[in-house]
Amino acid sequence: MRATSPERSGGEAPRRNTAAEARAAFAAWVGEAPEGRSFGQVIVRQTPEGYELRHAANVGVPDEELVVHGDPREAREIAKLTEEGEYRPLKSSPNLRRGWVLRVEDERGLYVAMNYLYPSGVVHWHLYRNGELEITNYRENAARQSGIYKRVQRLSDEGVQNAARACCEDAVCLKKTLWDVDENTPRLSEPGEGEIPCPEPCSIFVSFARRVRLFERENKRDLDAIGLSPSEKEDLSALVDAAATGSVEFAREAEFEEPLNERRMRYRKLTLVPKLRPDEDAATPDEG
Amino acid sequence: MKALIIVGHGSHLNEDSSLPVYEHAALVRDHYTGEFDEVVECFWKEEPSMRHVLDMVESENITVVPAFISEGYFTQQVIPRELGLDGPVTHRDGRTIRYAGPLGTFEGMPDVILERADDLLKGKGTRPGRTALVLLGHGTDLNKNSGGVVYLNAERIRERGVYDLVEVGFLDQDPPIAEVVEGVEAENVVLIPVFIAEGWHTRETIPEDLGLTGEVTERADKTIFYGAPVGTHPSVADLIVSRARETEGREAELARDVS
Ligand code: SF4
Repeated sequence: MRATSPERSGGEAPRRNTAAEARAAFAAWVGEAPEGRSFGQVIVRQTPEGYELRHAANVGVPDEELVVHGDPREAREIAKLTEEGEYRPLKSSPNLRRGWVLRVEDERGLYVAMNYLYPSGVVHWHLYRNGELEITNYRENAARQSGIYKRVQRLSDEGVQNAARACCEDAVCLKKTLWDVDENTPRLSEPGEGEIPCPEPCSIFVSFARRVRLFERENKRDLDAIGLSPSEKEDLSALVDAAATGSVEFAREAEFEEPLNERRMRYRKLTLVPKLRPDEDAATPDEG
Repeated sequence: MKALIIVGHGSHLNEDSSLPVYEHAALVRDHYTGEFDEVVECFWKEEPSMRHVLDMVESENITVVPAFISEGYFTQQVIPRELGLDGPVTHRDGRTIRYAGPLGTFEGMPDVILERADDLLKGKGTRPGRTALVLLGHGTDLNKNSGGVVYLNAERIRERGVYDLVEVGFLDQDPPIAEVVEGVEAENVVLIPVFIAEGWHTRETIPEDLGLTGEVTERADKTIFYGAPVGTHPSVADLIVSRARETEGREAELARDVS
């Protein structure tokens, strides 16, 4: 995001304030649609008193049935936990809780609230619409990593592709994925339908990519006679153990070290299921 | 316009890590009205990320304060890299971004530790005899200075002569905290974690390893008072503002150095 403002030669040209521009553009965009605009899982509508935000599933629900908020900063609490009380490390995950309405007085309040619900979503939306959003591809992002994340630099292209399918598609993240593996290698996962652009692998993705890199390493040396890796067997046993109790309890959203993590299971569906059912056409997607 | 950006570590697993950052930001908004037009939180592992926070901020005059205890891997490598900072003062796209030092080395830190200890002891009976303050640090190999900052604060508090003894112990380096607490020759031991947030260690491993039963643990030879991490104390909000103010003179200083 370093080049979103025009090049400046001296120190005199007035600074272009992209954030303020985005705030105004978003409010105007909302104002143009009397029925409101959808952004992530939220519907934002202009009202005579200001702006009103609610979960898309709560359109038309009367106030008596909702918790009514009047302070834009309360959006942070709304965005913090799922309906089940689970912590939400990724705000674009499709698990925003319902049951609230937030009324703010003005454009500034709207900007504050939106930035708690979808951090930096409005400014990226604005830049994307103007064709000015700078994209950082996976390899460029990985090259920057250090410490325990340095190993993501060694993730294969195929690993990046599968990680993106498992981590970024609309079933698990509502952002529209815009980054590629590198300049010459387009990302193949579905970008997503939503309004909020994703210009660069996020910290959840990098952490997931690290886990996938560890899986890849196993594949080189630790496969058993039927071609399963230790962690694949660990996941299968955990799944059987859990299912045998009658209910499968999933690990937390970003707990990638745990076998029963949703993204980890999505990755297994892409890489393990084809191994287990070699006769079936593995490329057939299951949506129907 | 002027902005304060508070940088926290954040967590993928729970809200403990970011909570103090949000609380301090809210206190700064309330108590220092007019000083900053924007007070914005950002994180390494949560959103908004350091990578994107500058996009969201409208101000041209920005101070970044890391809500970290010690100078090290995060404050020297990760934060400047992710925010794209050139050093203590960065000029970019018509903006000035000042980068403050971490909280633990700041001269105001001993006051916050002492306040934390006072709050802990308030209304609780102490045994007759000596009272020791024991500062608990993390001490990791990733961050060579994390021990140093605990010793620095212990020394500064010792100089004030408020406690009979001021000792230091660590989780991941010598001296181990359990030995320090066992060995300290005092009837009352006030144990304060010099951490920025609550977490697995402060809630689980430390009480377990030391056999603590809560805020007050009675042993045959001593009473142990166990405090919340210093980073969660409301006065840290003041510390953050002081850190931010301190950076303001910097540009003038730098200009002087150059000429
Ligand atoms: S990297 Fe993937 S998971 Fe992360 S925000 Fe972007 S699309 Fe969502």
